[in-house]
Amino acid sequence: MNNGTRRLRALTAVVTAGVLALTGCGLNEGNGSTESEGGSTASSAQATLRIGTTTDVENFNPLQSLSKTDSWILNAMYPHLLRIDENAEKVPEAATGYSYEEDGKAVVFALDERFQWTDGTPLTAEDVKFSAEAIMQYKLGNVAAKLTWVESVEVRDENTVVFHLSQPYAPFAEGVGFWMPIVPAHVFSEAGDLSTFANDADWVGAGAYVLDSMTRGQRYTLKANPNYPHAPEGGAAVGTVEYVVYPDVNTMILALRNGDIDLMGTPVPASAAASLEGADGISLETVGSLGFAHLTYNVTKGALADQAVRQALSMVVDTKSIIATILQGEGQPMVGPISPIFAQFDNTDLDAYPFDPEGARELLEKAGYSDGDGDGVLDGLSFEMVCDQSNANLTRVAEVVREDAAEAGIQINLACVERNTFLARTRGGEYEIDLSQWGVFDNPMDQLRSTYLSSNPGGINYNLVQDAELDALVNDAALTVDEKEFVGKIQAIDAYVHDQALLTPLYVENFRFAYRSDRFEGFAPSPSDLLGMVTGYSLAQVTPVD
Amino acid sequence: MLRFVTTRVLRAILTIWIAVTITFFLLRLLPADPTLLVVEGDMTPEMQAALREQYGLDKPLLVQYALYLGELLRGNLGVSFRQLVPVSEVLLDRLPWTLLLAGSAFVLTILIGIPLGVYAAVGRGKVIDKLVQVFGITANALFVPSIAIMLLVVFGSNLGWFPIGQAIDPDTRGLAAYLSLLHHLALPLFSLVLVQLGPYALTLRTNMLEVLGEDYIKSARSRGLTPRRTIWRHALRNAMLPALTLMGLQLGTLIGGAVLTETVFAYPGVGRLIYESVRQLDYPMLQGAFVLLAITVVLANLVTDMVSMVLNPRIRTS
Repeated sequence: MNNGTRRLRALTAVVTAGVLALTGCGLNEGNGSTESEGGSTASSAQATLRIGTTTDVENFNPLQSLSKTDSWILNAMYPHLLRIDENAEKVPEAATGYSYEEDGKAVVFALDERFQWTDGTPLTAEDVKFSAEAIMQYKLGNVAAKLTWVESVEVRDENTVVFHLSQPYAPFAEGVGFWMPIVPAHVFSEAGDLSTFANDADWVGAGAYVLDSMTRGQRYTLKANPNYPHAPEGGAAVGTVEYVVYPDVNTMILALRNGDIDLMGTPVPASAAASLEGADGISLETVGSLGFAHLTYNVTKGALADQAVRQALSMVVDTKSIIATILQGEGQPMVGPISPIFAQFDNTDLDAYPFDPEGARELLEKAGYSDGDGDGVLDGLSFEMVCDQSNANLTRVAEVVREDAAEAGIQINLACVERNTFLARTRGGEYEIDLSQWGVFDNPMDQLRSTYLSSNPGGINYNLVQDAELDALVNDAALTVDEKEFVGKIQAIDAYVHDQALLTPLYVENFRFAYRSDRFEGFAPSPSDLLGMVTGYSLAQVTPVD
Repeated sequence: MLRFVTTRVLRAILTIWIAVTITFFLLRLLPADPTLLVVEGDMTPEMQAALREQYGLDKPLLVQYALYLGELLRGNLGVSFRQLVPVSEVLLDRLPWTLLLAGSAFVLTILIGIPLGVYAAVGRGKVIDKLVQVFGITANALFVPSIAIMLLVVFGSNLGWFPIGQAIDPDTRGLAAYLSLLHHLALPLFSLVLVQLGPYALTLRTNMLEVLGEDYIKSARSRGLTPRRTIWRHALRNAMLPALTLMGLQLGTLIGGAVLTETVFAYPGVGRLIYESVRQLDYPMLQGAFVLLAITVVLANLVTDMVSMVLNPRIRTS
């Protein structure tokens, strides 16, 4: 062996030893892991449920706006006043109920006195007041927008909290009750600036499960809270929940097949669902969505200001076929902008636009559009449609719609781009047709305010519509506290938007969650991939299979 | 020699500065806004303005750059937009895993690539040569994620020989922890080595063929040196030089491959962190990760240059 080769081998040996020493130093003994010192999360239950998640926890502070995967863990730790059940209805969690006073300008929540933090401190109205005021002070997350009308928060007694509003807002209790996490005032008040508080150790929670330890990049371990009042009698059967990180969903599916995890937190892609159906020991649970896919028309762009053009576009979208082929049947059609998941706002009286490209062309020709240059495209009816290329279903929908629109003489140019670019374009109004999917609307009123008010309070009026009549309808409904009257007004707005064809709703996608049914059963799923199978309430109901 | 070393070090510093600058401006030239990713819907203009201020994105671009460079020189990589913790803390958590994976792949590629290249050259036209060529060309065309998934399906899921993703079983301690680490390392390491090995072995083979035709090799043989000694002592030494340079350059590809490999294998290294941070447009985290990787690659190339200098007397004396 010559000197050079010897040196090279020596060098590689040194590099290997160094790297191993660096990584191995204190291997699994505090390296990158954090353990909670606060709270008593001990549980007599022995079962451990392993859930696949796609990314590490980004932010442990529940008051800040959080990613979907963060919320899976944090929603289980920090209770909300209300939760959403399997029928998309708001039901009590930390509150036993709510009522309106002063003609809707005061919203009163009665708290469930059985809740207590894992350090033994009771959860009280002071915690709710502190959480709401912190969100308002620091303008934290999307909950801040839901607290817009709050003038003050009053602690009426230990278990009663009152929100005083500047004006009535019909779904206030539902919106704030569902979205606002309650944090322990005695812990968070010591943390200083809550907009920069990382909350990444010594967790104190009052939800069904509370973080106990983590190994960043790999695993987050939660222990059952023995004081969680919504667990079955005798406490949750699952004593430990572990979130294991698999950024690639295909790897996560293999891990489920292999038995390394018991549940995929993220829905199974439609293309992979068939391969899991019938797999030994694996079951798929179908869960509805709180959002929906849609085509939204930017009415400030050329011919899209014309109601006839928007109606014609609605007639070239074959939603039945899209659901059957692209979603492989896992979706529901929609008519107006209100999702059928909100059954109380039933809009089945509305006539859906038929799939009829020829009829669409006739409608357009009647409205005065013609193909002057004989290129097959009606003059002035060429539009750019933007979409998020990471959504495989929507990119396929885009192709189908483009082909069908061409039959009606409408040219659609596709611009399916990277997600962040897509978001920037839609926020900047740089599109003619927006093909996208709303994630979660927990109530129709918030949805209609955010998407149709001229003032664009949530920044997601992607129609950029300025319609005084529509504004009046939305604002009037928002002030209506009487439930029956409220439902009627929402249905009227639904019909108005449908007639205007401001959007073409495509489908409400069903999510399919895969789990090891040979090991666990009894999940209590809620609609959406934000909630799905992994809410604290759901996990607390799970039992091991004998 | 001192001049050689000084030039290389100065060039390395310049390269790092250029990498830092390009990364900084490239991220900000993206047609996207990180504040939009924080909440979906219900983002009031006031909330967006508050976030921009919190992220420091409300200042002019050059001011942001100057502030960033100033902090960088003080060793401060900033605070993650999303995690609200110092970037250096997260990177130090992740770096050892990437060093382990990419470092092991680097070393293994050399250890296996050298004999493969040598035996292919010596046995030119024979079965071994043809096998190495077919393997080299095929491996060069492989796509890391496809190989990774295939390995997981075959050796992880079907045969059950290796775990599906992750870097270690966090419940193990002592020797068991080291064994678990190696067990988890095997498949991601194999996939990286597989795609690196082909080009390396082929380059070495070509160099060896050239060197074996040189007069000094014939002279060595005529002086009675054994073929084994001629090949391994004289020919390889000279054939190694271009191959070493190639390895230095390929380190960048190796790190790039680690982004995909770490993502598919759920390996908690810097590569996966980059993948996650791109999705979140977490500028400080991305900047920190790229700076770290740029330094790693530049340092590795510096070391390669130094090793080349040691092996090649012409560089030493020029």
